[in-house]
Amino acid sequence: MKWLADDAARRACLAEQPLAAVISADMPLRANLTAIENIAVVPQYTRNLTYRDAMDVAWNLLLEAGHSECAYKRDPALTHEERFVVKLLRALVGQPPLILVDRPALLLPDTRYPPFVDALLQRMEPHLQECWLLDYTWNEPLYAPR
Amino acid sequence: MGVAMMPPMSGLSDFLIRRGKGALDLWRTWRAIFSFAGKALAAALTPSVYNSATRMVVMKQIYFTAWQILLPFSLFAGLLSYVVIQIVVSTAREYGLSEYALEMSMRVLVPEILPLVTALFIALRSSSAINTEVALMRIHNEIDALEAAGVDTLRMEFMPRVIGGVVSLLALTAINSVLALVLAYIALYGFQLWSLPDFTRVMGQVFDLGIIIGLWVKCVAFGLAVTVIPVAEGLATPRMLFMAPISVLRGMVRLFFVLMFIEVASLALKYM
Repeated sequence: MKWLADDAARRACLAEQPLAAVISADMPLRANLTAIENIAVVPQYTRNLTYRDAMDVAWNLLLEAGHSECAYKRDPALTHEERFVVKLLRALVGQPPLILVDRPALLLPDTRYPPFVDALLQRMEPHLQECWLLDYTWNEPLYAPR
Repeated sequence: MGVAMMPPMSGLSDFLIRRGKGALDLWRTWRAIFSFAGKALAAALTPSVYNSATRMVVMKQIYFTAWQILLPFSLFAGLLSYVVIQIVVSTAREYGLSEYALEMSMRVLVPEILPLVTALFIALRSSSAINTEVALMRIHNEIDALEAAGVDTLRMEFMPRVIGGVVSLLALTAINSVLALVLAYIALYGFQLWSLPDFTRVMGQVFDLGIIIGLWVKCVAFGLAVTVIPVAEGLATPRMLFMAPISVLRGMVRLFFVLMFIEVASLALKYM
């Protein structure tokens, strides 16, 4: 968890981690690809996997995350939760050293997001190296004591 | 006293600043177009750039640009060719120049009208769509998001469109040229094969090596124009949604003038 006092602190935190994969409202999914293709395209480029192998990797990640039903939806058809899951999987399939979830409240506006994000990160733990949630201090009461 | 005098040079200076800014903007736009064309061509000629995702986008681009419209466009091109052939044949007959009718109709149709009509059709159908899509990708920050995820957008999104566009234009022009040749034969000799040697001899005279090379160079230039200009224009779109239609408008106007310039330049090289 990384508590932020304001937007300047958030920007500074993002700037300090240039190698991190950022999950943010400012980093949308590719609109004309399905959810599964948005994930698969990363190993196709970073690991030169064939289309079939990359789709298998993406499908298995969606299964592990418990959201395989959204695999063939495009971005506008996704719910906020599904979009968040796909963004997280697109980030972690690239195996970055650190994933930053920038303002989860903005990504999951209609969800009690701390338990949702916690559960998802626990499910995906084998694939994660390190993940920080960047949230404002005024949202601290929403989180369960750690 | 009281009224500030305008310096005599201020009007001229304002005029020069405004014109200078316009000229600089134009220079930057064309530099961006040529820079993108250079990068896309360099990538297209590098075998290691192709992977499964790149090949898939190339195939999709060819499917949407050429295959999907092959039948209706070929029917239209066939009709246009037949009408042009009939006009040339009947006019040549009126002036007692029947022996030149085939040569004249083929010289007008295959190297000039068909490639230009194909390029204009692809410009209307695919280039406007490419310009809009790239502009929206840029406005919504999808390009940066893909780059951040480790995806090379030149390889995934832009270079395949250029290859797909060039291949589609070449393929459609070739198919419609063959169709025009068949229609010309039928219009002149009817449904029989005895005149094939005569027809072949005239075609050999019309399509010498210079004409064939010129035709393919022009088609490649058309193919590059119908893809490079909309992509470069889309990439230059400011990140504001209301700029999307303006970007498409600018891209299409530039594309029209470039296509016309290529056509006029090829005519000038051939006949002047």
